[in-house]
Amino acid sequence: MSRPAGIRFGTPQWAEAFAAQVAQSSEYRNAAAAWGKGFDGSILLVFEADANRAGVERLRLALAEGRCDGAAFLAPGDSSRAAFELQAPFGLWREVLDGRTLAATAILTGRLRVVGEKLTLLRHTAAHRALLHCAASVETIW
Amino acid sequence: MDRLSSALQDRLQGVVFTPDQFVAEYLTNFGQIHHWTPRLVVRPARADDVAETIRFARAHGLKVSTRGSAHSQSELAISDGGILLDMRSLGRVLSVDQDGETVDVESGVVWRDLVHHLKRWNLFPRVLTNNLGVTVGGTLSVAGIGVASFRHGSQGDNVVELDVVTGTGDLVTCGPDREPELFWSVIAGLGQVGLITRARLALRKAKPLTRTYYLLYDDVRKFLEDSRIAMDAGHWDHLESWASPCPQGTKPVGGRRQVFARWFYPFHLTVEFEPGSPPDDERLLRGLSPYEKLYVDDKPMIDFLERLVPIFELWKKAGTWEHVHPWMETVLPWDTAGDYIDQVLPDLPPGMLIGGHVLLWPAKGPSSRSRLFMRPPGENLVGFGILPAIPPRHWSKVRPLLDNASRLSTLLGGKRYLSGWIDFTPEEWRAHFGAQWDSFAAAKKRWDPEGLLNPGFVPFDATTAAATVR
Repeated sequence: MSRPAGIRFGTPQWAEAFAAQVAQSSEYRNAAAAWGKGFDGSILLVFEADANRAGVERLRLALAEGRCDGAAFLAPGDSSRAAFELQAPFGLWREVLDGRTLAATAILTGRLRVVGEKLTLLRHTAAHRALLHCAASVETIW
Repeated sequence: MDRLSSALQDRLQGVVFTPDQFVAEYLTNFGQIHHWTPRLVVRPARADDVAETIRFARAHGLKVSTRGSAHSQSELAISDGGILLDMRSLGRVLSVDQDGETVDVESGVVWRDLVHHLKRWNLFPRVLTNNLGVTVGGTLSVAGIGVASFRHGSQGDNVVELDVVTGTGDLVTCGPDREPELFWSVIAGLGQVGLITRARLALRKAKPLTRTYYLLYDDVRKFLEDSRIAMDAGHWDHLESWASPCPQGTKPVGGRRQVFARWFYPFHLTVEFEPGSPPDDERLLRGLSPYEKLYVDDKPMIDFLERLVPIFELWKKAGTWEHVHPWMETVLPWDTAGDYIDQVLPDLPPGMLIGGHVLLWPAKGPSSRSRLFMRPPGENLVGFGILPAIPPRHWSKVRPLLDNASRLSTLLGGKRYLSGWIDFTPEEWRAHFGAQWDSFAAAKKRWDPEGLLNPGFVPFDATTAAATVR
């Protein structure tokens, strides 16, 4: 019996694989060269419970000038924050990561909610698109 | 034969056409996105024909849409089962007042024809659109902006008087001081309140020659700074600019490799001058810091006004004039313009611009008094337009990119220019007009109570309902 390929979402291994994707992405390195320059570029991706998945997952990313200096899912009860939070139901995140919905569109239409200085985020849409593409590039068991 | 056709024809001096007589252009507009079939097309011979057509439509439960050169790209200049007025038949230049520097024209007059009519007196409209092949009534209904707008506002700001047929079929003369509510609801009013049949336009005496300085910038912020300096200098008559791609190869965008470009910013600054008194180049260009000064070109005024005609002709010859034109034009606040352009251009595949271009136009907000030509607050503004020609089969792939460019402009404080491709929700329409929405809706109710005029674009009923629900 063969095991399914990929890494289970929400695990430390998944966060590590994501950080590795960021590290090797020339798209991210170029698009995010100015992200976090002179300001705190940390981001919290909040995957909210919905019909697709019970429970909340919170992925904290330390990002600066085209690098990912750390990626980790927060343990339940860990109230760590980040300078920016992107919040959406799990189903919408799946749409974004599967490429069925553009992250920029989801942000611009308010489906993907932003906590933090929205204007700063909007000035770096290419960086966030590249970041989410890195997430989508991790072979994932949902 | 449609039974209404002969009944309407009996009332008009103009001509009524039935679908079997339609030419293909009546079924769409320049956008080539919406394809509608009218029930009847009318080519009016006089303003009374327009009024009579509206009264006839009211009596028979039909809607009335207007079409000039049909350069619109949304649900304008087309009709879905109603009467489509082809206003180009109202194409006469009526009179010129040389001393008063005004001209009276029927609304179907094409700007290029008017310019040629006026050149003998060296009189010209204060503002002309880049594309002169559009009608007076058409551009006044969206505002009408051009390379002299930073000085003189929109074309709508340079109207002395209008004859308008309202949605009740009444022919009313209005101007900034005569029936001003109606006047300012018609200027940039998208044909929602009344249909323009005659306009008296303010002219200006021009000098016979022009000198254009072709400057190039490699940095959008340097370009913006110099465009502000140029607007404030007081000696430039026309300012025109673009963003121009220099393809570099491919890069991953969302994981898929896409051609990307280094963008440059051509900036063309023009002064008019008398023969024998050429401009002082050094004085004019003092304080500007372009990447390169490329070229200086002298030409007669009329050639300057027609400078883009060869480009449009090339696009027509190449076949791209028949492609889908989802033009996304927006007026941005000065403070966010650089950020916006930085975000949008890197994602724009240069191939999209075959048969099109990216326009930039520095603007002065206070130069316009128009209530319905919506623009951000502030003195200095930047117009930005992605003007592509898309083969129809690629339209669905390109659409999200333009959708996002439109939404991002709104979120960064921009206001869309409504002659282009607009896909607003009812809430977005309301937000676009902001504080002007209620007075626009009230004007619609007052002068077109049955919602006859140019339906299908501005959703007055839907936004009212949405507001009620909230």
